[in-house]
Amino acid sequence: MRLLRLISWPYARKHLLRWLLTTAGIVLGVGVFVGMHTANQSVSAAFRETIDKVAGTTQLQVTAGEPGFGEEVLEKVQSLPDVRAASPVIEATVSTGKGNLLILGVDMLGDRSLRTYDLDGTDEAIDDPLVFLAQADSLIVTKTFAEKNGLKINSRMPMRTMQGDRVFTVRGIMKPGGLASAFGGDLAIMDIYAAQMFFGRGRKFDRIDLALRDDVTLAQGTAKLRALLGPGYEVDPPSSRGEQFEQTARIYSLASNITSVFALFIGMFIIYNTFAIAVTQRRSEIGILRALGATRSQVRTLFLVESLIAGTFGSALGVLFGIGMAQAMAGYIGGILTDVYGVAQRADGLDLNPVLLGGALAMGIVTSLFAAVIPARAAASVDPVKALQKGRNQALGEGESRMRRWAALACAAASAVALIFSRNTVIFYAGFVLSGITAVLLAPSLTLWLSRALRPVLAGIRPVEGTLAADSLIQGPRRTSGTVAALMLSLALVIALGGLARSSYNSLSDWMRIALNPDLFVTTAQNLTARNFVFPASLGVGLRAIPGVAEVQLVRSVRVTVKGGPVMLVALDVASVERRAKLPPVEGDQADMYRRTERGEAVLASENFVRLHGGRLGEILEIPAPGGTLRLPIAGVVRDFSDQQGSLLISRDAYMRAWHDDTVNVFRLYLTRGAREAEVRQRILDAFGKQQRLFVLTNKDVRDYVTRLTDQWFGLTYVQIAVAVLVAILGIVNALTVSITDRRRELGVLQAVGGLRQQIRHTVWMEAAAIGFIGLALGLLLGAVELYYAIEISRRDLVGIDIGYSYPVATALALAPVILGAAFLAALGPAESAVRGSLVEALEYE
Amino acid sequence: MSKLLAAWLLAASLAAAQDPRQIMQEVQRRQQSQSQHYEGTLEVIGHGSRIATKRWVFDRIGAFGNSKGMLRFTVPAEVKGVGLLIVNHPDRASDQWLWRPNIGREQRIALQDRSTRFFGTDFSFEDLEERDVAQFDYKLLGDEKETWKLQSTPRKSSQYTYGYLWVKKDNYTVVKVESYNKKGLVRAIDYRDFELAKGIWTARTIEVTDVSRNSRTTLKYDKLEYNVPMKDDDFTLDALRRGP
Repeated sequence: MRLLRLISWPYARKHLLRWLLTTAGIVLGVGVFVGMHTANQSVSAAFRETIDKVAGTTQLQVTAGEPGFGEEVLEKVQSLPDVRAASPVIEATVSTGKGNLLILGVDMLGDRSLRTYDLDGTDEAIDDPLVFLAQADSLIVTKTFAEKNGLKINSRMPMRTMQGDRVFTVRGIMKPGGLASAFGGDLAIMDIYAAQMFFGRGRKFDRIDLALRDDVTLAQGTAKLRALLGPGYEVDPPSSRGEQFEQTARIYSLASNITSVFALFIGMFIIYNTFAIAVTQRRSEIGILRALGATRSQVRTLFLVESLIAGTFGSALGVLFGIGMAQAMAGYIGGILTDVYGVAQRADGLDLNPVLLGGALAMGIVTSLFAAVIPARAAASVDPVKALQKGRNQALGEGESRMRRWAALACAAASAVALIFSRNTVIFYAGFVLSGITAVLLAPSLTLWLSRALRPVLAGIRPVEGTLAADSLIQGPRRTSGTVAALMLSLALVIALGGLARSSYNSLSDWMRIALNPDLFVTTAQNLTARNFVFPASLGVGLRAIPGVAEVQLVRSVRVTVKGGPVMLVALDVASVERRAKLPPVEGDQADMYRRTERGEAVLASENFVRLHGGRLGEILEIPAPGGTLRLPIAGVVRDFSDQQGSLLISRDAYMRAWHDDTVNVFRLYLTRGAREAEVRQRILDAFGKQQRLFVLTNKDVRDYVTRLTDQWFGLTYVQIAVAVLVAILGIVNALTVSITDRRRELGVLQAVGGLRQQIRHTVWMEAAAIGFIGLALGLLLGAVELYYAIEISRRDLVGIDIGYSYPVATALALAPVILGAAFLAALGPAESAVRGSLVEALEYE
Repeated sequence: MSKLLAAWLLAASLAAAQDPRQIMQEVQRRQQSQSQHYEGTLEVIGHGSRIATKRWVFDRIGAFGNSKGMLRFTVPAEVKGVGLLIVNHPDRASDQWLWRPNIGREQRIALQDRSTRFFGTDFSFEDLEERDVAQFDYKLLGDEKETWKLQSTPRKSSQYTYGYLWVKKDNYTVVKVESYNKKGLVRAIDYRDFELAKGIWTARTIEVTDVSRNSRTTLKYDKLEYNVPMKDDDFTLDALRRGP
């Protein structure tokens, strides 16, 4: 403690900026980890809360995937003596002029046995189910929603429905709390039969919520209902929907873990670098301490305690930063999941998990301590006599370099071997980590080598300043290599993520060219993924009759559970699709697979379904449906980006038979030769637009939408890239600040012998540029390797599609000016500090 | 004279026997008619003594346990046309369907929903049923000056576990009913303003009190008629959909 006060504190105070920069890496790493996970957990918790609140006293829910089931199932369920109350539900998230609204279609007669509608005010008419039922436009909204939008009883609220634009009347306002606080209070209750009409659901329900008699256990009730309904139906407690949601949000969790680990890894290098430099700078101090009787253990402990303090400070700041970031991230992730998956949730508050926050704090501290272990050991092993001799402390011993090179070779070999056995996930990820370690171990040698290579170039540009800048790098590789390693890792991450994005866009573009080639798309929402509303099949006949329309494809997409996971089932006219938008097989015989699927004898599986759910060509899939379990083999595997969880293409006839559902999500329209898109679009709108909710999108609209969605998805990647670039810049600033401080005497001497201020500035700038260049070169190289791993991780564990390797040349080219510019900007402060400091003080340094 | 004597003898024998089932069978017999028509006015007196008024037209064909009823709301305007078809059965709970003209479809009222309030009134859907006396067990609890107090226990599924009935001795009309579940008193129904219509003593005012909600509903009968000609075809799902 005394040593800490006498030795560490004055040093830290003197180098406050450097300490702050050092902790920045930990702040970012911990912040990203806390931010991403807290956001994920908050969204997940909000979803669970919504489920709980909406469920009321519901013990079990009967579902049959997204298509729902016929009304007769309700009577069947109600006939079971074990069931105390059973009430049908339709749930949909609808975009209104007043924001997204979760609409719960319920049967007000029976639903009150399951849910409490605590209505506001004393007006009995509000509580009059007869008026509510008699008027199909009735809505009950929450007080929160009403106050937010200035709604009162009998206020009118427009909504676009399958019956066209309709104005709804607020006939009840629920008091806050319980059901009314679900989905952040943006909830409305509608009569279920009105909801069927307005959402175009025909005579179907999404699910049945039920409560059992007191003497019936959950297990008994579940078993009896399953036996009663058969395999096409799922009978589960409401909480199981939360598990499905988490499966959906899994990708985000994995991506945030990777980013956090990377940020911490980079932060660790910054800390290591700072401590390594601190040990070098304080060699004489350590020497004196040792000469005065301080033991090696005391010196080691001193540095570890310094690191502990820096780690604790940085981690605490990181936790705070992360909490701030989580608020924004939660809204972002929530938005994506609502748009893409139609999962109704909203995280208005943060779900702060003490275990997560404690874990993140510990992770930051351990990272900081781990980073300081080697410098602390180096400090402890300082020979007091040698330490008091000044100069040449930054040089790397040839033995040390050789040892590192051998270790790097061993890691590279192990990484290569891991690639051979990469089918095993653990071995694959071990290979990934080893490739990074190889690069880190090689960084000092490569930095030295590149610095030497750069010397003539720099000297060619400015003989004095260039030589001085290069020599500074060559003589202080320990100081530079840590920064270069951090920069290299950051830029490798940028290249890997940028490459992943580029490869994905390329692959997506290929798919869009083949699969999304209709001229027009008639949809129920501008958002193509929304499935809350459906069209009757009869609209297809009307569309075919529109002049200029050559062919209409009816598509019904529904999420069902196959192999225990949520999968998108796409029912379409396979023969027409084969003729118009034939996807080439990744596996399987093209002619045979389309023929068998068209006949309803098989399905086409998407590549990501096969990868993520462990399917294989020829495997017979069991697809539970209300009409009985479908047992269909996979006739072919195609590259399809319809859904991140994987998709199955099935013939529309087979789907209609099994699900008793002839509704349509999207009509794909091919126009006759010479027909004008805009004219046909207008004809469709004129013919059907006023009668029902209908959007006509052009091919470009759809492509733009898919690209926008992909941009949204990669939005998270861009955050990661920004973090990586920021860490890289911090690394340069840190290294240069250290470098200037370290060379104050040298720079002072230069000024004393007549060196111009401008020359010193140029020296610092050139040194910065050289660090930036070396980091850039190594980063772009390592990025090429990391991109391979990123694509593999994406294929194996994220989206399941082989998107192909495509190096992001544009990103690499864009990075060059960014990093060199950042290096220059980072050098401005230290350069000014070098020329404006006191000459006497500088000459006294060390 | 002989008829009068016979009736007196029957009444005397029933009164003397005090057999609860016989009492109730006599109640049912005296209420027997081939059909019924009335226009009802409902007044729901809720919290703060606020009164909500609704009107309906009711037709019934057949008698206890074998009857069918059709109820259509006429007032207020926003509920006009809403209908309810009740098909009573001698041996089980009735079937009930609701017709909603606004969305053009009927909805079956599930058995488990019969205990819910009948559209904001203090009646439940079950209270609208006409159950045959054979569906209950009876026990005579008291023989007061003007009334008998009986306990009825439903044999088939019901929201009520038992009920108390007060039957007037002079004309065999039920003047009060209290219905209980396991938790206690749920509803109390008072029958008032009796009038003789086509030989049937009929309460022109029925007041239901929902004990848990502390609210009252009164139903007043207007234009009451018995045994008017009606057709079975007017008491079907098609008729419900068709409207008045």
